[in-house]
Amino acid sequence: MKTARRIPLLKKMLAQLGIEEGRVRLDWVSASEADRFASIVNEMTEQVKKLGPFRRNGGGKNG
Amino acid sequence: MKKVTIDPITRLEGHGKIEIFLNDEGDVANAYLQIPELRGFEKFCEGRPVEEMPRIVPRICGV
Amino acid sequence: MAKPKVALYWAAACGGCDVAVLDTNEKILDIANIADIVFWPIALDFKYHHVEAMEDKSIDLCLFNGAIRSSEQEKIAKLLRNKSKVMVAFGACACFGGIPALGNLTNRAEIFQRVYIEAPSNANADGTVPQTSTKVTEGELELPEFFDTVSTLAQVVDVEYFVPGCPPPVDIILKVVNAFATDQLPPVGSVIASDKTLCDECDRVKEQKKITKLYRPHEIIPDPKKCLLEQGVICCGPATRGGCGLRCIKANMPCRGCFGPPPKVADQGAALVSVIASIYQGNTEEEIARMVEEVVDPAGTFYRFALADSMLKRKRMPPTEGRL
Repeated sequence: MKTARRIPLLKKMLAQLGIEEGRVRLDWVSASEADRFASIVNEMTEQVKKLGPFRRNGGGKNG
Repeated sequence: MKKVTIDPITRLEGHGKIEIFLNDEGDVANAYLQIPELRGFEKFCEGRPVEEMPRIVPRICGV
Repeated sequence: MAKPKVALYWAAACGGCDVAVLDTNEKILDIANIADIVFWPIALDFKYHHVEAMEDKSIDLCLFNGAIRSSEQEKIAKLLRNKSKVMVAFGACACFGGIPALGNLTNRAEIFQRVYIEAPSNANADGTVPQTSTKVTEGELELPEFFDTVSTLAQVVDVEYFVPGCPPPVDIILKVVNAFATDQLPPVGSVIASDKTLCDECDRVKEQKKITKLYRPHEIIPDPKKCLLEQGVICCGPATRGGCGLRCIKANMPCRGCFGPPPKVADQGAALVSVIASIYQGNTEEEIARMVEEVVDPAGTFYRFALADSMLKRKRMPPTEGRL
């Protein structure tokens, strides 16, 4: 249950760091739910692709 | 014009440099004080909770 | 035998680390007796050209405080690195970015806009902002480039030792000076503080870390004997290196994290997210939402002193276009 509290707090912090809500997702999937796992991964992949790569400026002295 | 540079200025808090331009007679034509530092407190304090102000702004000057 | 040579310098700093060295009071005379201070802008008149004229590695110890956020600060860090045998990242700014690293939540464009254009006390109708090169009647003036991003000293040059703290406590400063004077410096790469967390070293009464509310300072007067986290006050102790003597705790204020992450913790902010999420009791959506709301500013609170040292280092945003 710590994860259930950690992830929303982390997302709030990540939003402040310019990392969009759609890039982090929390789901609960059991080992026997193979189809569900696959569909979640596919959805997430599409979502992240739509968001695109991080805008330049990923550290280093001048981005 | 001949330029005399004093860099850094010393025995005070902060960074500064002085450029002195001398004319052909060796007299001072003009002198410029420049402050080659900025940290941006005016901007990064925005969005911080009010209780952070007494924790952040003393770090403007530790003297 | 010639006395060893010591240099002190400040980059994006406040002067507090230099004052901390002066806070050694009469012991500063001992320091002056055992070493020649060859560069120290707050106290002595040596200029950059004096340092440039020194032979490489002729400075025995360089205490460098302040973060790196301009081309001049980077240049002098590299210059002093060349001229020094031992480079010490002195203070929270040089070690982790410090308070100036909160600038990594913004960038040059936004900072310049606020400082030089928007700020209410400005009288800058022309909208002048600093340029790296400015022509004046007599010639040309130069200013360093202001980077979008704040870096720690170790991200720019090799560093042998780290002395954390904002500022480092006097007893740690004296420990460093003594170790240097008696040739008993610890292994290279050491952080000269405790290897435990502040939480481990805190002597407040700890019972059960279970809370149902987080309090902001105006909402509570904490009991000075009990653990602050257990009273619902955000204290960075569990994810902060110890060795500071609990100076904030003793003032009944929570730890702000100025000694940086403890050993084995790669990212202080992420560790603090875990700390708060672990002790907060609540599993329903409402309880979790309440907790998230009660942490008003996670990035600023959990990365207060160590944003430049974190895994993400800075906020992802478009870089400022072009050179100045």
